[in-house]
Amino acid sequence: MHFTLHPYLDPGSGSLLVQILIAVLLGLGVALRASWGTIKGFFGKKKSTGEDDHADDTRD
Amino acid sequence: MIMRTTPGTEQLPASFRDPSGFLFSRNGVLYRQINQIYAQDYARLMESGLYGNLIKAGLLISHAEVEQAPAERSAFRVIQPERVPFVSYPYEWSFSQLKDAARATLSIQKRALKCGMTLKDANAYNIQFARGLPVLIDTLSFAIYEAGKPWDAYRQFCQHFLAPLALMSYRDVRLNQLLRVYIDGVPLDLASDLLPARTKFNFGLLTHIHIHAGAQKRYADKAVNMPTARMSQQAMTGLIESLENTVKKLEWKPAGTEWGDYYAKTNYSDDAFQHKKDLVRAWTGDKKPRLVWDLGGNTGVLSREAAACGAQVISFDIDPAAVEQNYRLVRKNKEENILPLVLDLTNPSPALGWDHQERDSFSARGPADMILALAVIHHLAISNNVPLPQLAGFFAARSKWLAIEFVPKSDSQVQRLLASRKDIFPDYTKEGFEKAFSTYFHVIKSESLRDSERILYFMEAR
Repeated sequence: MHFTLHPYLDPGSGSLLVQILIAVLLGLGVALRASWGTIKGFFGKKKSTGEDDHADDTRD
Repeated sequence: MIMRTTPGTEQLPASFRDPSGFLFSRNGVLYRQINQIYAQDYARLMESGLYGNLIKAGLLISHAEVEQAPAERSAFRVIQPERVPFVSYPYEWSFSQLKDAARATLSIQKRALKCGMTLKDANAYNIQFARGLPVLIDTLSFAIYEAGKPWDAYRQFCQHFLAPLALMSYRDVRLNQLLRVYIDGVPLDLASDLLPARTKFNFGLLTHIHIHAGAQKRYADKAVNMPTARMSQQAMTGLIESLENTVKKLEWKPAGTEWGDYYAKTNYSDDAFQHKKDLVRAWTGDKKPRLVWDLGGNTGVLSREAAACGAQVISFDIDPAAVEQNYRLVRKNKEENILPLVLDLTNPSPALGWDHQERDSFSARGPADMILALAVIHHLAISNNVPLPQLAGFFAARSKWLAIEFVPKSDSQVQRLLASRKDIFPDYTKEGFEKAFSTYFHVIKSESLRDSERILYFMEAR
């Protein structure tokens, strides 16, 4: 598919590729964390806080 | 300086990069035109709950939709954004200010993703400080998120935020000055070269800076097959969280005796300092200025006296450690009307960018209503050789009122400055000072500081 974006910013070829490589790797972590939350949830434990809104991240 | 569109309406010259819209001013009021091309994205921002969420969190500047004629034909809508009290730039921020701006940007991106949107840029110049905290001022920075699409702003985030923060943390805090040279952020190959080798053992810096720089070099000018360049939203979340963790771990603490020890090094008594504080509070209370520039504001003790009258005070200092400490106080005490900034008065921020019109110079962001120049004149007149008449002209062009401290040659601080050089300043006397300043100002009040040889003057420009 082609993306219909507002390409006023050049994302850069190298930046795009390295981003995808890193992100896919890190995405696995996110996926694992999410399923771990589900497993814990299944056994009646408190759900992982991975999905928490980092509401106060910049407001400490 | 400003481009004309329809009569009486002036498009801001810095507002040209993004075709989604632009800023214009009409009768002194700032508006933003949203172009047709951005209509869908704007609707999503407003209707998805993202706008409300960001406003509540204090992360986005608020705006009102107004019935103003657009500045030109491509308009979809005109909005009136809230104005920030003083525009500042990342090369004027202390370490924690840049770090908080970076974290605000990532927090905004995470919130955007939850509402089906994404930041289409991560430009440090889109962040400003209002009420003491970083806020995104570009309402048009959001685009509808398309599943599978990578983050267009990744490169910009690394160049505008991560690279300078890493350099400040691992190499030298003054390296944020590279942002004054490179308008689109620190080139990653330069950051990679300048960072110590041990940063390659930091996963975030290894990937987002070192490997990233290598990939940029390798794929420079090579097109990427966009249809295959895809990543899931989960991958995007992983990327943003990795950037968050990397930024969060970067720290800077000034070493040495300077830190936290500013007023212990002064040569005058507590009594003299208290007298100075009382005078600043009385004079600002008398004139009720709205915007005060405290030049040489140190950690902001006297800025806070000035702010007591309700003024917005910009507390400038040349020392990044003092500005860092000042900003930490602002954050700790939730102070809304003090903005600490790094500024070298002998070489203030110039006009930068395309046609010198994208970033305003220090002077173009004035005038202030009142300037405080306390314990600073000897640095300008003696260390930097500026003749007193030029100094008087400098202040008069930038402010109506001036509270200034004359530090005589007999003062030990001036003696220290003269210790290693010849005294070529025969006019640097109380009489010479008063004569030079009387050309531009009339003196409202003057008082000798108790227990000191110094004199404080309160003046009004002629």
